[in-house]
Amino acid sequence: MKISYQWLKQFINISESPETIGKMLTSIGLEVEAIYPVETVKGGLAGVVIGHVLTCQKHPNADKLSLTTVDIGGGVVAPIVCGAPNIAAGQKVLVATVGATLYPTQGKPFTIKKAKIRGEASEGMICAEDELGLGTSHDGIMVLDTDLPPGTPAAQLLQLENDYVFEIGLTPNHADAASHYGIARDLHALTGLPICFPEPFEHKVGSRREKIEVIVENTEACPRYSGLTISGLQVKESPEWLKKRLQAIGLTPINNVVDATNYVLHELGQPLHAFDLDKIAGRTIRVKTLPEGTVFRTLDDVERKLTARDLMICDGNSQPMCIGGVFGGKESGISDRTTAIFLESAYFHPSYIRSSAMHHRLKTDAAYRFERGTDPNMTVTALKRAASIIIDIAGGEISSDIIDIYPQPIPHRQFTVKYKNIDRLIGKQLDRALIRQILQRLEIQILAEDEATFTVSVPPYRVDVCKDADIAEEILRIYGFDNVELKPSLNADYLAEYAAPDLFKIRMELTKMLAAIGYHEIITNSLTKPTYAEALAMPVEHNVEIANRLSSELGVMRQSLLFSGLEVLARNISHRQKNFRFFEFGKTYQKQTKADGTTFYAENDRLVLFATGNQHSESWQVAEKKTDFFQLAGTVQKVLQKLGATQADPQEIDGSNLFAYGLAFVIDKREVARVGLVQMQHAKSVDIKQEVFYAEIDWTYLAGKLKQPTYSELSKFPEVRRDLSLVLDNQVSFDQIRRLAYQTEQRLLKTINVFDVFTGESLGSGKKAYALSFILQDQHQTLTDQVIDKIMEKLMGAFERQLGAVIRK
Amino acid sequence: MQDRIKELLGEIETFAITNKEQLEQFRLRYIAKKGVVTALFEELKTVPTEKKRSVGQLLNQLKDAAMDKLKSKTAELEAAAMASAGKPLDLTLPPIPNELGTIHPLTQVWERIVEIFGRIGFNVEDGPEIESDWNNFTALNFPDNHPAREMQDTFFIEGKEILLRTHTSNVQIRLMNKQKPPIRSIMPGRVYRNEAISARAHCIFHQVEGLYVDRNVSFADLKQTLYHFAKELFGKDTQVRFRPSYFPFTEPSAEIDISCGLNRPGICTLCGGSKNICKGTGWVEIGGSGMVHPNVLENCGIDPEEFTGFAFGMGIERITMLKYQIRDLRLFTENDVQFLRQFETL
Repeated sequence: MKISYQWLKQFINISESPETIGKMLTSIGLEVEAIYPVETVKGGLAGVVIGHVLTCQKHPNADKLSLTTVDIGGGVVAPIVCGAPNIAAGQKVLVATVGATLYPTQGKPFTIKKAKIRGEASEGMICAEDELGLGTSHDGIMVLDTDLPPGTPAAQLLQLENDYVFEIGLTPNHADAASHYGIARDLHALTGLPICFPEPFEHKVGSRREKIEVIVENTEACPRYSGLTISGLQVKESPEWLKKRLQAIGLTPINNVVDATNYVLHELGQPLHAFDLDKIAGRTIRVKTLPEGTVFRTLDDVERKLTARDLMICDGNSQPMCIGGVFGGKESGISDRTTAIFLESAYFHPSYIRSSAMHHRLKTDAAYRFERGTDPNMTVTALKRAASIIIDIAGGEISSDIIDIYPQPIPHRQFTVKYKNIDRLIGKQLDRALIRQILQRLEIQILAEDEATFTVSVPPYRVDVCKDADIAEEILRIYGFDNVELKPSLNADYLAEYAAPDLFKIRMELTKMLAAIGYHEIITNSLTKPTYAEALAMPVEHNVEIANRLSSELGVMRQSLLFSGLEVLARNISHRQKNFRFFEFGKTYQKQTKADGTTFYAENDRLVLFATGNQHSESWQVAEKKTDFFQLAGTVQKVLQKLGATQADPQEIDGSNLFAYGLAFVIDKREVARVGLVQMQHAKSVDIKQEVFYAEIDWTYLAGKLKQPTYSELSKFPEVRRDLSLVLDNQVSFDQIRRLAYQTEQRLLKTINVFDVFTGESLGSGKKAYALSFILQDQHQTLTDQVIDKIMEKLMGAFERQLGAVIRK
Repeated sequence: MQDRIKELLGEIETFAITNKEQLEQFRLRYIAKKGVVTALFEELKTVPTEKKRSVGQLLNQLKDAAMDKLKSKTAELEAAAMASAGKPLDLTLPPIPNELGTIHPLTQVWERIVEIFGRIGFNVEDGPEIESDWNNFTALNFPDNHPAREMQDTFFIEGKEILLRTHTSNVQIRLMNKQKPPIRSIMPGRVYRNEAISARAHCIFHQVEGLYVDRNVSFADLKQTLYHFAKELFGKDTQVRFRPSYFPFTEPSAEIDISCGLNRPGICTLCGGSKNICKGTGWVEIGGSGMVHPNVLENCGIDPEEFTGFAFGMGIERITMLKYQIRDLRLFTENDVQFLRQFETL
């Protein structure tokens, strides 16, 4: 919302600079987002002064030029070469002095310099209207009729006013401040400076020849409707003062009648609407809603289908003329031929206006105010104000009595406020007299008062003041938020417990671990393409779709973190190198159905890992080695270890849409992690041409099962290592060997590891050899060779019998 | 004999040992079985009884001196040998590239925020992103059909009833429904706005909500808490300004501004001197706050006559951008490693 500094000063005689006023407004909750100067004439005619032509003679070297001397004030007489045919000695003219920049009506701005024109010195320029940007006339220089002395700034002669505009970001609660008067009213509350309401206007009914009937059928939507007629007026261009006011706040003047209604809207905050009286059939106004789907052509020449909630201003035949409080109709508006008008000034219910404005996407100045709540007690005042301006600038006379339909006047809100609640909320006891003064200046009347409480009466235009807390806010914003002192110490009456498990802390620990081993954390968009879920063959009905999506690219919530991460990989690969490791903590989203058929939305936390390219960047020492499955699986193992899930069973994943090959980790039949090589088509779909390994970990589930460790006695006896080499069929997995080993020797076998894997023709086809190490330890005694040999024999026997292993000696 | 021992003491002290050979010579001469010390102990037997004691002491002194010198020189030579043996050709060659990963700047700021509020008794609470209209708007005192709803462009999922939360304030409602005062929590999380992605706007971003409800929680407490936060995060010279504003769920409501140039004239630190964030005012907004509206407390079954509270909300991206002078919101979700690496230091 734009507020003019000069216009504002009509209501409150405040001497502070625009900057200071800006700060004051911001401090009371009317945020000034910007202040900028308004120039009626571009450049403000700086450097242009009145000059008195002392002498004028023909230029010796040019037929069409004259040589003049001009008194430009301050005792300076400047020689100026002038090309205008109407120049003569004795004239008062406008001179652009050396250094002045002119902004001509057409063409580029230019700066006046000392010059020689055809050999004669010229120090300034005598200007025509268009050269100053004052108009389009180039019929010679402007000859002035003025008594002002030479040197007087042109701005003073033309009474150019320095105006500034405040751009105010008005919050929805401040309907009361949506006008120049409203802003002045709040400044009055802050400063105590007197505020003057626009002159009380004479309201003379000229004749009562126009009879107009108003019938409000929907009094809920239209609690008050006022109006009058003006006849015998002439629609024409508005006078300068009015155009200047409107232009300052960014409005385009239209004609004197429309401009006058706009002026009053921005002056008092009351929107008005003028109808061409002759177009009101049956001289009757009906305020009503129309059947859904009725077609109505608005002022912007758009045919709109009405809703049953659009409050319409109709004529005697119930033909719509205007969407009440929102936008006028094509047919009933003011035209050049209009000579009589019906002027409407109403109070419409905010929620009706809002639904119409939203439905038809019409954000008009009127709707902006009505939907926030205007002052129901302002309708008649504004009507009179507008009528007096119109008669002043368009002629005519008021030709009807004032119609004012207000069946159920809206009362002031009355309620009792406890001082205790005010003090408690502010955290400081304000002087009671100060509270009374602030409220009084805000036009909030105190009806009764005792030690502990006071009863207020709040005018309806303060739409947001209904409770103790609202009164506290009004007091506090005027008193000043910055005037509430800090206490010597922070309040620590209550310290909240951390949750168990502390998911945030666990997440940070994992984050730090992953960063330390070379993974970069990424954060990606959770809105994504629907095609991604399809590519992973995830059920489409599980997609959480955005009804009012920005674009189909961002049309659903992700069911997997794979693709947003692949996009990040692709971006980085295209930029630079090819070796990356990334991780992301994020959510996946699914629409799901409960057993009883109701839907719910599942949000699942996941940790995902990505690895691609080489394991290390190039080094003189380490041979180049591609990232492989085992590298990423190793990281997954570390995360699981941190989350206490060392006992997870690895299970190969078959026929996955996600992985070409992969492994799942399962605890209690629940998959807690999976890792594998991403199917090449997914990588290719985002233009990645190299292998990408990916893992997902259900970390919050595991975090929920974390237990604090308890100490167990350390063994005092040494560990013993024995190695075995097994020749196996290819399909026998290490996991089978591991399980069998632990099953066979539960007590003394501590760890089992693979230190070599060999495949080759020497073993025969379909065979492989694993070199295994076994660590044995007894808690209670030193292991003897006898015991060790017995265990190893037991293990070998099991491997041979159950896995078909051949022991290589 | 005593003179001889004294002479030997001097000799031991000055015996030069700079290599293994000299060390061995020293050992053979003094300590070995056929060395002088052993010989002197033999000789001690011949010393008259009355002198035996004093000469014996002197001889022991000689023995200790020899042993000490042998030990210290042995260690010295061993250390020197180790240092030279197997020394790489060039110690300044690039080491094995075990690269360091990075923590996203948003996470770093997020963690810092949790830590700062953790110190003054706030725990962390969480809530869903797919939310009902009730928890995101209605319970927060957003009237139906009110312009306040327009302040936040909303993504809808099912009609107008299920939506993507536009702020983390939904967690306030959930928290107050499950826990009765005292409540002292921050609620960080992801939020959504129906806005096209640009340098200054994104359809996803992150906020941190704060809520403190108890008996006698006042506006002064709110100020105090946010002063603490701003000074901890942006430095102790940071000035904080509270500006009246409007949020449906707080009354009074205040926007929180921090000084852009730490209030030194002509300095515009957070904007990097450009003034394009503070617009020359010297203040930049970091979030909104206020005293919890009595209607909101009532909607959660908390008696506003008994309890009061304050709430605040801040954009984590916004704070991160101010802290690191980042100008483009899109950088956060692009995750260019070159960008991420800029925040690898502690």
